[in-house]
Amino acid sequence: MTPRARSEDGRLRPGPVFVLLGFALAASMALSASTGPVAIPPREFLDALLHGGAGTPARVLLSLRLPRAFLGLLVGGALATSGVAFQALLRNPLADPYILGVSGGAAVGALTVALFLSAGASPLLPLCAFFGAALSALAVFLLARRKSGVSPERLILMGVVVGAFLNAVIMLMVTLSPPGRIPGALYWLMGDLGLGTPRRVAVLLPYVAAGVVLLFLLSRGLDLLLLGEQAAFQTGLSVERVKTATYLTASLLAGSVVAVSGLIGFVGLIVPHGARALVGSGHRRLLPAAFLLGGAFLVLSDVIARTASPSGELPVGAVTALAGAPFFLYLLRRNGGKS
Amino acid sequence: MNPLLSARKVSFGYGAGDVLRDVSIDLHPGEVTILLGPNGSGKSTLIRILSGVLPSRAGEVLLCGRPPRGYPRREMARLLSVVGQDPPVDFPMTVESFVALGRFPHQGFFGETTPEDRERVRQALAETDLYGLRDRTLSTISAGERQRATVARAIAQGARVMLLDEPTAFLDIRHRVAFYEIVTRMKEACGIAALVASHDLSLCAEYGERIILLAEGTVASQGTPVEVLTPGNVQAAYGLAVSCDRNPATGAIRVTPLRGMPAKNR
Repeated sequence: MTPRARSEDGRLRPGPVFVLLGFALAASMALSASTGPVAIPPREFLDALLHGGAGTPARVLLSLRLPRAFLGLLVGGALATSGVAFQALLRNPLADPYILGVSGGAAVGALTVALFLSAGASPLLPLCAFFGAALSALAVFLLARRKSGVSPERLILMGVVVGAFLNAVIMLMVTLSPPGRIPGALYWLMGDLGLGTPRRVAVLLPYVAAGVVLLFLLSRGLDLLLLGEQAAFQTGLSVERVKTATYLTASLLAGSVVAVSGLIGFVGLIVPHGARALVGSGHRRLLPAAFLLGGAFLVLSDVIARTASPSGELPVGAVTALAGAPFFLYLLRRNGGKS
Repeated sequence: MNPLLSARKVSFGYGAGDVLRDVSIDLHPGEVTILLGPNGSGKSTLIRILSGVLPSRAGEVLLCGRPPRGYPRREMARLLSVVGQDPPVDFPMTVESFVALGRFPHQGFFGETTPEDRERVRQALAETDLYGLRDRTLSTISAGERQRATVARAIAQGARVMLLDEPTAFLDIRHRVAFYEIVTRMKEACGIAALVASHDLSLCAEYGERIILLAEGTVASQGTPVEVLTPGNVQAAYGLAVSCDRNPATGAIRVTPLRGMPAKNR
């Protein structure tokens, strides 16, 4: 047999695609790190990267911009992989932690910590956000379930309803909190990477790393879940175990991200579709591709959020929603036309 | 020879009523058994019970001596494969990667593909006349081609017991015949035991060693095609008047619905 120009998935060869994605991510992070009110000449940029440095440009770079770029990478990557997992779990290409109300639940969990336990970047924050995310995901699944199964549209509808309810709870919590208890609450609610300090990156990193690795280990199971639960079972998958693990891991990813950077929508919806177009539906390639693409996408969105308005920064969630909402409508119409 | 899969007096109901009552069947190696019965007679439910998706309410199912629900999942999937639901079309999956999922029970949990896996997938694609379509996505091929892909996935799974739920429903006549030829080859070459739920009365008689006729959840008749496919049995199960004769070319039973004979209500 002659070697084939395309991979097993009938897509472009994965090697170059991953090199390209890695390059795009590095470029977007470099762009992010060199964008801002303080100009950093390329030489000082490299110098600060390689040797550290004491000057103002080096301090800005190392303690503000790079942490922010890394936070963007972690948040974007985590949201995108969480979206991939929810989409496989629900066999629904419209699923996304934000649309499903999972992010809202995470926000309530995180706010509870901030209000009653401690403010700031507590390591507890992602954990409680995870519980909030898991509970709201469970609520949406149970509400959407009928004897005949879960229809995609009904699931989205329940996600919107639960999300709206949780938003009201969030507003109540923010309004009733003592002044200064939750600094930057409004920005946080709309999704913001401005809180990217080295400490927050360090708090988030273990959660995201654990979540992404776990999902990657589940990737063959996720492939089989796309067949439908019955067929997956008959092909030898312990369906319930894989579903539970996926649901918990995806909630962990979405929850921990919300705890640090608030409600950033649609990354988990757009990026998986883009990544599928590049590497196909096999999760062993799709998950890493979605992580890289999600990181690059959010870091770039953040650059746009910082530079679009002359009078100040936009929340990055506003930028992703501007791109994501029309895309969601497009998918919904395409899906509706088929079934 | 011992049956590979046997059911003894299996009963099942989703709610209060019975969907299946006292169904007993044996699937022997090297035999194709055809499961006939009108829509709603319990064929799909029986396949779900035999494959361990549903627990039976009463009775016993034994796959190679053990109840299917007692097996570890992968071990079970190496023994028994099922062709059922339509494959997914919401996600862009190619025919080849879809068929390759059938190798899951033979692989490590992370699905490292071995040369044997690739060879089995290639064979399954070739058997089902899909090799040329292997790089197409499932949503861009026809319903019949998707159905053949589902059969190919089960072939790649390489189990000795195959349960097939109306695997020919969307196929044209050539591919219908091709399907029965494939099953026959696998029966002769690998000694598989196949249970094929079907509505092809005459084709079944050509290819099936045994026929089980289900009606309203019970076995109305079972045996060789000659024993089961009689005008009386078909009339009782389907409420349809037919004539049964021998096909002069093959000698197999041929069932022909009769024109102008009002179908009697059961």
